[in-house]
Amino acid sequence: MSATTSTRPPVRRVAPARWAKDNLFATPFNALLTLIFAPLVAVVAWWFLRFLAVRARWEIVETNLTLYIVGAFPRDQLWRLWLSLAILAVVFGLIGGLVGATTREAAIAAGRPLTTTRWDRVARLGPPALLLVSLLGFARTFTPFVLTAGVVALGVATSLLARRLPGAVRRSVPLIAVLGIVVALFAISGFGGVPRSAWGGLLITMYYTIGALVISYPLGILFALGRRSSLPMVRWVCGAYVEFFRGSPLITLLFTGWLVLPFFLPADFSTPTLVTRALTIFILFTSAYVAEIVRGGLQAVGRGQWEAAQALGLSPWKQTRLIVLPQALRAVIPGLVGQAISLFKDTTLVLIIGQQDLLAIAQNVTKQDEFLGKGYIIESLVFVGIVYWVASYWLSKESQRLEVRLGVGQR
Amino acid sequence: MAEGAAADTIAGPKRPVPWRDVRVIRFALQVAFAAGTFALVRWLAGNLTSNLDRLGIRRDFGFLSQPAGFSILGAPDFRAQDTIQAALIIGMSNAIRVAIIGILLALVIGVVVGVARLSKNWLVARSASAYVEALRNIPPLVLVIFFYLGVLSALPRITEATFIGDVAIVSNRGVWVAWVTVAEGSRAFLIAALLALLAAANVAQWRTRVFDRTGAPHRRLLWATLTFAAVTAAAWFALQPPIEPSLPVLDGRVVTGGAWLYPEYLSLLISLVLYASSFIAEIVRGSILAVHRGQAEAADALGLSSGQRMRYVVLPQALRIAAPAIGNEFLNLAKNVSLGIAVGFAEILRVANTAAGNGQPAPQLLIVVLLGYLTLSLIISVIVNIFNRRLQLVER
Amino acid sequence: MKRSIRIASVAIAASLVLAACGSDDAADTAAPAGPTDTVTVDPAQTEGGLLAAVQARGTLICGVSQGLPGFSIVEADGSYSGFDADYCKAIAAAVLGDADAVDFVELSAAARFTALQAGEIDVLVRNTTWTATRDGAEGAAFAMTTFYDGQGMMVNTDSGIDAIDDMANTTICVQAGTTTQLNLESTFAARGLAYTALTFEGNDQLQEAYFEGRCDGWTSDLSQLAAFRGTWPAEQGGSDSVKILADVISKEPLGPLVNDGDTEWFDVVNWVVIATIQAEEFGMTSANVDSIRAATNADESPEVGRFLGLVDGFDPGLGLDADWAYNIVSQVGNYEEIYLRNVGPATPLGLPRGVNSLWTDGGLLYAPPFR
Repeated sequence: MSATTSTRPPVRRVAPARWAKDNLFATPFNALLTLIFAPLVAVVAWWFLRFLAVRARWEIVETNLTLYIVGAFPRDQLWRLWLSLAILAVVFGLIGGLVGATTREAAIAAGRPLTTTRWDRVARLGPPALLLVSLLGFARTFTPFVLTAGVVALGVATSLLARRLPGAVRRSVPLIAVLGIVVALFAISGFGGVPRSAWGGLLITMYYTIGALVISYPLGILFALGRRSSLPMVRWVCGAYVEFFRGSPLITLLFTGWLVLPFFLPADFSTPTLVTRALTIFILFTSAYVAEIVRGGLQAVGRGQWEAAQALGLSPWKQTRLIVLPQALRAVIPGLVGQAISLFKDTTLVLIIGQQDLLAIAQNVTKQDEFLGKGYIIESLVFVGIVYWVASYWLSKESQRLEVRLGVGQR
Repeated sequence: MAEGAAADTIAGPKRPVPWRDVRVIRFALQVAFAAGTFALVRWLAGNLTSNLDRLGIRRDFGFLSQPAGFSILGAPDFRAQDTIQAALIIGMSNAIRVAIIGILLALVIGVVVGVARLSKNWLVARSASAYVEALRNIPPLVLVIFFYLGVLSALPRITEATFIGDVAIVSNRGVWVAWVTVAEGSRAFLIAALLALLAAANVAQWRTRVFDRTGAPHRRLLWATLTFAAVTAAAWFALQPPIEPSLPVLDGRVVTGGAWLYPEYLSLLISLVLYASSFIAEIVRGSILAVHRGQAEAADALGLSSGQRMRYVVLPQALRIAAPAIGNEFLNLAKNVSLGIAVGFAEILRVANTAAGNGQPAPQLLIVVLLGYLTLSLIISVIVNIFNRRLQLVER
Repeated sequence: MKRSIRIASVAIAASLVLAACGSDDAADTAAPAGPTDTVTVDPAQTEGGLLAAVQARGTLICGVSQGLPGFSIVEADGSYSGFDADYCKAIAAAVLGDADAVDFVELSAAARFTALQAGEIDVLVRNTTWTATRDGAEGAAFAMTTFYDGQGMMVNTDSGIDAIDDMANTTICVQAGTTTQLNLESTFAARGLAYTALTFEGNDQLQEAYFEGRCDGWTSDLSQLAAFRGTWPAEQGGSDSVKILADVISKEPLGPLVNDGDTEWFDVVNWVVIATIQAEEFGMTSANVDSIRAATNADESPEVGRFLGLVDGFDPGLGLDADWAYNIVSQVGNYEEIYLRNVGPATPLGLPRGVNSLWTDGGLLYAPPFR
């Protein structure tokens, strides 16, 4: 193996015994640790796997799979969800493909290694595959398999197509994405569809996550710019907003949105639905966090960048949009993805204000006659926990990948 | 701008017309912005008052002195006749207690796991990573409910409670552990302990002076601890012991004595500690990796053992990098105490919610709750900032 | 000049931010949803008050409890049934002529009053106890009581507890934010019994805790206790493993309530309840109301004629169609039907009529005359 042509260090192959000696029994203390940890790890792993494979009574999930995923959504309208999923597959395929292509180009241009060994590519498929297995594994008919395969194929096809898009189309992708999400929403609730008050389960979880994400991120960027404004008044107001929402627990804010928000509107306004109010709170809350993250990014952009932009004769708006923001946002991508994961996990709080989200349904299904009083809550919570876990884990892994490609944090 | 400035220097100070004067524009913009903000806030507040009046809901805080009418789990001294204000104070102190204990435990576990992730022992490093990855990707509310409904309620019933010697009783109504109660004549001992602390501080100072003068190992921590232990031990035997052990005793279905860790409290505490410690571990790991390799190599060159290298060279520097991020996690943990409402732990939001259900006005109650949590956040961030600043000063 | 433009753009951006965070329906415009989404109309919006608003909207929004057997339960097909749900349907039948034109909103005990005050629901039919404070300070107006209940205590049959006085040093499960919780405190304090109250937001977690043996007693309205006892799972010993003590702690008159200040709407809800009672007094059921209507000569039996809207020129002035009472009886039924099919002796709850009988049978139900 010639080390001069490869950017990666050579892989050293060692015998198992040698490996164990180096990694498990290097020093007496290490050996002691191994002796303590080995049985512990073995017991926990054995106990957990035995639960998953043998002990768990998964029939509660099999019976209620649709309920977990869509809640009380009318079953004769499910085709709307598949339609919406197909649209979202196109949107996310487009975004994914484009981000992949752009970061690839950026990484090549900067001479950073592309971490795509064959093993990497396989490992990357792990989390989404696990997500599909943990959801579809409980399906009792073939229809979901066929439809899911179709949706996945559509997403993959779009992402491949996205890499070959001309520049003009590429630039309008954010707009296309937002439009796509709006159309996807409309496919479910428009044209005599299902009002959001009837959505539940994973569907309402995803609605809150995506809805709040799309609106709060631009809003948060505006607040971040406001906090860096040269006008003290603007700075103070934006600062007060951010600090208030960052200092308050989200549940308390959701309670306020639930119980008090209607009182803040004039009497002749129609009261927004609980779903809209909760979404509003998620947007206000998340935008404060995004503002704080983006502010960090803005601070990291050197003064010289502003000055160079000014010297080029760009307008203030163009200075911000073309020079400063791209650099600032690139620097805080891990933080922004982390905030998206947080938001996804925080949506569970709506159960406390009486919404039938995934976690609420996990508790409610144990009240059904055939499961009542038999301790099915553990299976139900483990299932839901795994769904949340895999989705968050997937997002965080993708974010790490992106980080490496963009060279964030490298000096 | 550039042309204007050039013109100024040539033609002398000539003010531009007011509507093109930057100072005027800045001022006008700020006034407009302030007026807009003020109008918005007034509009919202006006709506609130007129709506509350229209519906006949009172707007004052007089309800705080009304009797609560309900009891609070884990606060046996609180009676239903006591005021809502007293109930909210108990809720707040419950929240603070969980926040403090949670922060301490999460910090210890987080540092241990974070260091373990970098262990040379493959098994230990992998177990630590599994711990972090498993916990930080699960919503904390799922953890709280799982521990409450799945784990703690699966403990034996009170009638079949498990005894661990005399010191603990474990059942699904809670865990009772041996604890101490403050005895009658504890004040004298308290004074003695204060004196001991004073003496210890003096000894430490003396050892520092000796070190400065002679260069001999100061061992001031050891000396101070020994001094403190000696004086308090003397006081313990000379005076009345300040505390008495209290062992839990089960009689029928009632446990007396000991400290009661009830499931609502325990499930919240365990979940918050597990969740926060996984984030702290990740921060600690990142900070250790951020300490320049040369530092560790220098420590090796000095012949320090791996433990000493960690303790004296790497960790102090890593701590400085990690402190702001860890402080953020403390804030998150404190705010997550409000998850207690899902399992009926009587933190302030839960108390306020119960009061609202019994006919007290929700807007005022939520204002109190928000103020409570904002104050808690503020106190924690002030402490973290002081600590941060000290770290920076000490290091430079 | 560049600088001032920059400042202006930042200021405009900031004011946009404020505008966005200020207008609460910003979320709605950005995430459009179906027209059915914001259907709630506040009474003040329309000139005619809530009645006109409900009629204009075409559906009634009714607040019910979160799954209480016998009172409001979601069937597998998503429809609602139960005693409270039937009263929602009766109001819809009277106001809209269609008993199915109801949007049900499930509410926790703690949230119900605020939901009503905020105009999120038109009427609350959620086994809510009529008390002075609620009628006064909560800004609610209670219509005629639909169910006279009392608070009781349920314990394990083998617990050795036969009366509340045996319950010293016990743990008692109760729903938070209810009159039940307050009554529990005052009853035990008055009897000098030490106890621990374990409170829950909903009956679900409470029942789970009872199964696990976390509490020795479960106190609630007798009807609710009967509902849970009647459906007690066999794995937990079935209905016979728990018993309801004979002690009745308090009076719990349960009925529908609306917001204070809209007397027209209040009258409608009130008279819907009265109509179900009156129909029972007449012996009119959903099965025979059509034949009674066909056979009634308004001159011979003016009472029945006025009730069914057959007397020309008689309009009680409730703002409803002449056949509103007929719609209630034909589509939902009279009080007896509603009672028997949801909570009566033949149901899992197995509650005898007791005080919830007509006054002629020694009960408390008495309909003011239709005149």
